Amino acid sequence: MSPADATREIGWNISAIWLMYVLLAPTLAVAGYGLWRHIRLWRCGQPVIRFDRPAARLGMVVRHAMLQMRTARQVYAGSFHLMVFAGFIVLMIATTVVMLDFDLHTSIMKGRFYLVFQSLIVDLFGGLVMVGILMAAGRRWIGRPQQLVYTKEASWLLVLIFAVVVTGFLVEGWRIAATHDPWAAWSPIGNVVAALSAPVMSESVLRTAHAGGWWLHLLLVYGLIAWAPFTKLRHIVTAPLSIYTGNLDGYGRGLKAIDFESEAPLGVASLEQFSCKDLLDLDACTECGRCTAVCPANTVGKSLSPRDIVLDLRMLMHGKAGELLATRGTTPEEEPRIPVIDEATAVAPEALFSCTTCAACLEACPVYIEQLPKILDTRRYLVMEEADYPQTMADAITSLEQRGHPFPGAQFSRVDWADGLDVPVLSEVEDPSQIDVLLWVGCANALLERNHSIVRSVATLLRDAGVRFATLGREEGCTGDPARRIGNEFLFEQMAAKNIKIFEKYGVRRILTCCPHCFHTFSNDYPALGGNYEVEHHTTFLADLVTDGRLSPSPSTGQKITFHDPCYLGRYNRVFAEPRRLISAAVSGDICEMGAHGPGAFCCGGGGGMAFAEEPPDQRVNRERARQAVDTGADVVAVACPFCMTMLEDGAASVAGNHELVVRDVAELLRGSVSTTENIP
Amino acid sequence: MSSDVVICLFASNGYDRAAQGVAGAGRNLAAQLGGSMHAVIVGPPEEVTTSAVAAVADTVTVLDQPELADYQPELSLASLQQACGQLDPAAVLLGSDTASLELTARLAARLGGSPMSDGTALAVADGAIRVTRSAYGGKAEAVFELTKSPAVVCLRARGFEPAEPTGGEASVERTIVELPDLVPTRVVDRRVEETEGVPLEDAQLVVGGGRGIGGAEPFDDLRQLAEVMTAAVGASRSACDEGWVPPSAQIGQTGKKIAPELYLAIAISGAAQHVLGISDAKAVCAINNDPDAQIFRHSHFGIVEDYRKVVPPLIERLRDLTS
Amino acid sequence: MRILVCMKQILDPDLPARDFRVDASRNEAERAGANLVPNIFCENALETALQLRDATGGSVTALSFGTEEAEDVLRKALAMTVDEAALVIRSDGPAPDALTVAKVLATAARKLGDFDVVMVGRESGDWGVGQTGGLLAEELGLPMVALVDGAEPADGGLKLRRQTDYGFDAVEAQAPVLVTITNCEGNVPRIPKTRDVMKAHRKPLTTWSFDELGVAADEKVAEVVELSVPEKHVTCEFVEGDSLDEKVDAFARKIADVMSGLG
Repeated sequence: MSPADATREIGWNISAIWLMYVLLAPTLAVAGYGLWRHIRLWRCGQPVIRFDRPAARLGMVVRHAMLQMRTARQVYAGSFHLMVFAGFIVLMIATTVVMLDFDLHTSIMKGRFYLVFQSLIVDLFGGLVMVGILMAAGRRWIGRPQQLVYTKEASWLLVLIFAVVVTGFLVEGWRIAATHDPWAAWSPIGNVVAALSAPVMSESVLRTAHAGGWWLHLLLVYGLIAWAPFTKLRHIVTAPLSIYTGNLDGYGRGLKAIDFESEAPLGVASLEQFSCKDLLDLDACTECGRCTAVCPANTVGKSLSPRDIVLDLRMLMHGKAGELLATRGTTPEEEPRIPVIDEATAVAPEALFSCTTCAACLEACPVYIEQLPKILDTRRYLVMEEADYPQTMADAITSLEQRGHPFPGAQFSRVDWADGLDVPVLSEVEDPSQIDVLLWVGCANALLERNHSIVRSVATLLRDAGVRFATLGREEGCTGDPARRIGNEFLFEQMAAKNIKIFEKYGVRRILTCCPHCFHTFSNDYPALGGNYEVEHHTTFLADLVTDGRLSPSPSTGQKITFHDPCYLGRYNRVFAEPRRLISAAVSGDICEMGAHGPGAFCCGGGGGMAFAEEPPDQRVNRERARQAVDTGADVVAVACPFCMTMLEDGAASVAGNHELVVRDVAELLRGSVSTTENIP
Repeated sequence: MSSDVVICLFASNGYDRAAQGVAGAGRNLAAQLGGSMHAVIVGPPEEVTTSAVAAVADTVTVLDQPELADYQPELSLASLQQACGQLDPAAVLLGSDTASLELTARLAARLGGSPMSDGTALAVADGAIRVTRSAYGGKAEAVFELTKSPAVVCLRARGFEPAEPTGGEASVERTIVELPDLVPTRVVDRRVEETEGVPLEDAQLVVGGGRGIGGAEPFDDLRQLAEVMTAAVGASRSACDEGWVPPSAQIGQTGKKIAPELYLAIAISGAAQHVLGISDAKAVCAINNDPDAQIFRHSHFGIVEDYRKVVPPLIERLRDLTS
Repeated sequence: MRILVCMKQILDPDLPARDFRVDASRNEAERAGANLVPNIFCENALETALQLRDATGGSVTALSFGTEEAEDVLRKALAMTVDEAALVIRSDGPAPDALTVAKVLATAARKLGDFDVVMVGRESGDWGVGQTGGLLAEELGLPMVALVDGAEPADGGLKLRRQTDYGFDAVEAQAPVLVTITNCEGNVPRIPKTRDVMKAHRKPLTTWSFDELGVAADEKVAEVVELSVPEKHVTCEFVEGDSLDEKVDAFARKIADVMSGLG
């Protein structure tokens, strides 16, 4: 027989094949019903606009659902997942080919196509699935990493998928053996089965086994399809959906807007107050555990676990499905109907207020679940509706209200950093329109003495470069960032409104910040409140000055340096290159990066109001990060944020045996490398 | 108008350092006014107390009715009002114990005079009494002129030199005062805290812990250190607010004002309100891991280090040096 | 039980020392850009009052005497759920002394009705003289218990705990009584809920002007004749040493020197 005629008889040895179609109906019905049970729950959430910009969203699906670019970050797991995924794609195409041929009589399943694709490639990909499952099973049953969730369901899914593929190969092999298939070599794995079976099974045994195996295979496949929506395997549907409806606007734009005029409770205390996307997220979770693995609070032993928050909420959603459905179309009540915050679960206040809002969880999630906004939603409820949150954070909030900065007991005013520098203040400038840029100092720089040198460095460099700048002097008040991150949205809006008024008064257009939190808040949080400005952080501004030749640093030598990416500059706003460019301009030699750097950088522990929190000495995020810096062997760790500065200096002091590691802001390094006429320390 | 001074003492305190300071201030003020100093002792005093007071005052009035033995606000107020009223002084001086603090304003009002608290110096100007005291949480110093008479002033007693003996012995008079039968307020129970060793205000060496101590248990390490130093243990307001130490250990604007030879501040930031309480210390030293901490601006010597690393070896070293 | 809490607005006690300036012409601190805040002991008193009301039912009225800005203190008190608030406004003139304040508060209190308990802070964070409470008690003809840090309802009055030099006293007081409050773990002022903050701005606030109350102008007990910022003369010597042990040793020696000098 020539290759052009190569084919096989579809449905050979199977009688009553019509049963397959009959059984398909209930299978799909059960699967459909299973899926519908979840869809109707998501619809109980609050509406949210996530179906706009379809082209961009489809792009996300291609990159993350098909190419699985985030899953690939963990190489072992990413590989076996891709194998199983790709394998099943190919197997499904193969089944479609069979259907086209058998049901639609197109006779495409023959010839070279049959040999190369339907036989060889399909076999290989089926084998790939088996290898993938074995790799997965090895990780789950032998390796047992902390990251995973160990359920019977997960194990059974592995077994079932493996069984599906194994029975497929057995059936193929027994067919090959029983029919003495001339093209057997094109199905290498089936061929092996055939070769091993033929000596020990007679033809009639082979036929019986084949038929039995075929029906078993069918039942396993149908079983898998019907069962999938009831297990985490539903992520086949929910993950692409979650990716499609993901947040396109950056981590800084993921918070819900609050209408203070309405009667609705502030923040989320009841499940139905989450958005539809939030609820979909709960069903999209594959229990991969990466979010918890990268969470800095979790790493140092705190109870916060983003994965468990998602899974506990999922359990709540499924367990209270009836109550959730009953909330549709009703008005919100004062008492939460389906309480989300529960000390006995992962959604406990202690965990919620350990979060530094670093967004590592958002960055890690392969399916674009939004863990952090859920944490912030519950914080908002606890802070604004219950006024129940850590006293130290409350003290920072009170200080914000009373003094316009979050540092009670600070011994400095807003302007002390500028002593001897003669920095122009906007209120005293004759023509504000002549000013190139407003230099926004930031509370952490002005009120903490150690950080004065950072702003002084920036101001001196600006002057050297001939930039016409001014500050607000005593008129500067906090941007409101700590209030927003802790959860007091009301205070945040009050403070933002006040600042926006001041900016209007002076016609401020461009703002240069010395703190990533200020930078982030002006860029991401102020526009919705009517404040639209060109905002830059000092690293990008200074980097441009160097590029333009307005500053000419001569790099110093002899220092090994590493860089700690600030969460609110790097991960949130994707500024990674400029600080490094500045470091290279100021210090020669390569930057020895910490393992967790760039988008995957490990937080210093200061965000989310945690800079104001009391922490047990053995659970300090800053110490862990300082240890990571010390471990690079660097002499200096460069930072670009006053909170990181404070946290890392404190952390470095407590790393056992460390007496050398020095923390410097990038601006300080740059200033050290630029010869200036000013000689003020 | 009288130019006499009355000092009010409580029998139960004895002629302690505080009483000695009040007496000293009273003598000086009486000299400036050109009048006499009368002592009023509330409650039945010990013999030794009466003689000690008689050695420094011009007259002593003892109000020794048994009802006055333990402090009861209404009874003590009534008795002082009567006794002082009879003596018609230009000034009435008291210590800064809690009983005196409680009574001062009401006593002044009933005598038609002006009250003042925490006086660190007294002067006379054109017949009016002037009191110097701290203000604005320790950031400033104010001089108040008291416009009504008598001036009724609580003093930071231990900051005044003890009275010199007059050389004579004052006459001691027992006076019966009218006491109300029914009183609207009564102290029904007194809980005295165990303090080992010398009370905080009288201690010559004091160790203080602040917010940086971090918990109640670590204060035990401070107590160990205090023991080796034969010092008393106090705390800043933050540590008291946290409940790590009882309020009676608080040093500061609203706590004890101490005047030791040496005050060792451990993990205390040095806010003005705390520093106010140690401003009479002869020397101050500090352990703090923040080189910019305010406390160092008030310290004579210091060490920049985490206190947890310093205290254990410090205890050992001091043991060696003092044995 | 009707409780009255008197509250004072003061210059921020956390004003950095380097920003503190004396206005020599008025013998008080310069306002400059400093913030005004509620006196912490007044807030402790407010918290004590609210806890008492929450336990027994009744009402809490907050009363303040100050400039228009003192309204902020009362709005915060309303956000902390006091039932009623009143303000006596005096925009200019020298800072009123303790007796003037006491008379004003007493007059206003009588207009607001009869109270079972009047609670005030033990002293204010600015002058810290702490005599207003006692003078107010005398103006109102009330007995007074000072330095209280806990209050519970009791038959016909209150059971109070107050701090003493040596520990605590338990005091039984019949209503009506005035109590001055000091700070403790249990009376840290509650954090107002945002919704209450929003509502507080719309709640009614009774206001009187100082003149309206007819208190004799500036009947004083004291006058500030001098106010100055004391010079600091201490320079800290940081112990030297190459190692921790050396530094600790140097530190210990200095302490031991003082100890041996005492004999």
